[in-house]
Amino acid sequence: MFRIRFHGRGGQGMKTASRILGTAFFKAGYEVQDAPRYGAERRGAPIFAYVRADRTAINERGVIDRPDLVCVADDTLVGMPAAGVVQGMDAHTVLLINSHETAETWQQRLNTEASILILMATEDVEDRAELPYIGSRCAAAAAALTNVIERETLAEALTEELGHLPDDVIGQNRDIALRAFDDMAQHAGLVAPGGMPSASDYDRPEWIEMPFENAAISNLAIHAGATSVMVRTGLWRTMRPVINYPKCSGCAWICSTYCPDGAINVRADGYPEIDYDHCKGCLVCVAQCPPHAIESIAEHVAREQEAEASS
Amino acid sequence: MSKQSPLHFHRMKDMPSTHLLGTGTPTCAGCGGLETLHTMYDILGKKTVFVNAAGCMTLLSVYPFTPFHGGWLYTSMASAPAGAQGVRDALDILLQKKKLSADEDVEVVVITGDGTAYGMGMSATSGAMDRNLDFIYLCYDNEGYGNTGQQYSPATPHAARTSTSRGSHGYPGYKKDLFAIWAAHNPAYVATVIAAEPLDLAKKIEKIQTMSGPRMLISLAPCPTGWDYDPQLSVEIGRLAVQTGVWPLKEYCDGEVRHTKVPKQRKPVDEYLQLQGRFRHLFEPERDVEGIAEIQARVDAYWERVESE
Repeated sequence: MFRIRFHGRGGQGMKTASRILGTAFFKAGYEVQDAPRYGAERRGAPIFAYVRADRTAINERGVIDRPDLVCVADDTLVGMPAAGVVQGMDAHTVLLINSHETAETWQQRLNTEASILILMATEDVEDRAELPYIGSRCAAAAAALTNVIERETLAEALTEELGHLPDDVIGQNRDIALRAFDDMAQHAGLVAPGGMPSASDYDRPEWIEMPFENAAISNLAIHAGATSVMVRTGLWRTMRPVINYPKCSGCAWICSTYCPDGAINVRADGYPEIDYDHCKGCLVCVAQCPPHAIESIAEHVAREQEAEASS
Repeated sequence: MSKQSPLHFHRMKDMPSTHLLGTGTPTCAGCGGLETLHTMYDILGKKTVFVNAAGCMTLLSVYPFTPFHGGWLYTSMASAPAGAQGVRDALDILLQKKKLSADEDVEVVVITGDGTAYGMGMSATSGAMDRNLDFIYLCYDNEGYGNTGQQYSPATPHAARTSTSRGSHGYPGYKKDLFAIWAAHNPAYVATVIAAEPLDLAKKIEKIQTMSGPRMLISLAPCPTGWDYDPQLSVEIGRLAVQTGVWPLKEYCDGEVRHTKVPKQRKPVDEYLQLQGRFRHLFEPERDVEGIAEIQARVDAYWERVESE
């Protein structure tokens, strides 16, 4: 059975990628499951979708924990534990990353036995949430790597799944997808279907024994307020607003009121301060700042600058 | 419950500088509904209990995380005001039995989306107003079933494209006038608000704090995901909704409707519509002259009625 996971950020089209690949497998005569992981599938937030395909009925259910292929649309997700990109990868797994860095760099960085391929970013965009065509490219590259889906079958599946879009958009997606398919042809067959593990092969879940208790013990009441601050929604950010303090006129009531998340605090000296642990990067503050003292820079660039400054 | 506070929101500078609503909520970046809620919560304060019908905001409190400092009750879409009645009754009984002192009392606040408020929750809301329930109701109106992928709702405006009105002319129906429907019940207070006009919102919240009975708020909630625009435009689009006259800011109190912010020179509706992907078919591949004129005519007719009164 083929087990394939697509990782990306909300808005990059991973759900669509899984649908295109699923439909292509189906047209190639496979039994198929494809599903996005349900959760807070918001723009910029880490999300994943997955596809199972087999020649016989599929009885496996739920999230794929032993992937044959992991396809990553945005390499900034790899280091994010919440995204779970590397989960269950072993020597059998192929990791396909959309990245400007080399396979060797990722091999060393992740210290993994998995095979790594790079899906080179063809178009550079500042905002990672706006990566064009990445879903179609991931689906096409995955199809090529399995070596069981014909080029034409992929094109048909893509046209069908994107059918609600204007013709020129479908055409562009198809051209770019087929190019990705051809680029990956040299590695055709690298992704091989994994076997069917028997029940005894599965790792025992990390059970926590919970004896039957009354609700006050088993389902603790939360008395603390505003516990949501423990959730770091700043990880969703693909663009970072940065306050240029010399230009800031200190009218913090503007940006701090308009920030939908309340992630701009007013300091004791009256100036605003952005809480990057929770700023989702909507950039409303950039648009609303009267003296234009808030600039936006790509989050991955900001992180590189921080890393350089600290080394 | 004890009602308080003299009016003190005169200018933007008076807006609260500390924010009570916890960060880290799972609403989309640029959410116009969350923007209204955080401003409202900053003013109402911690002595509140929220009753939340299923919708986008259901994700606010996912155990064990909550952005609130007090209680939160989750109900089905149709029954949030019934939930609020139960909470209010329980509080009143505790007060009566002296198990709760007057200063421990809290304000009961319902939050629902437009799918609930304009549609399937209408009966329970009507009943709560009939019973003169002492509560605040906030509807964050993003003009569709946003949490499930923006299917049209009774709040969807004419011509908007949604996932269930994908045709070349968008949604054929017209947005329901919920303000008029609610006001017809003669509750203590009804108002339309928007986060992009924080001062108007703050004044209205402050006003209802001193009142009791049903206090009903409808906030237009610009929605980057459902309306298809860059999230940084959320406030701009909200402000244009007011400046074009598409979203009139008004209140109903003591049997009178009063407009609280009348645009001096209304901008053409195009300015509001063309920033949003859901109306793109009105401008591309060519301008739908008739379609836009119809929307403009409806807005103009509304304001003519207002001015003639």
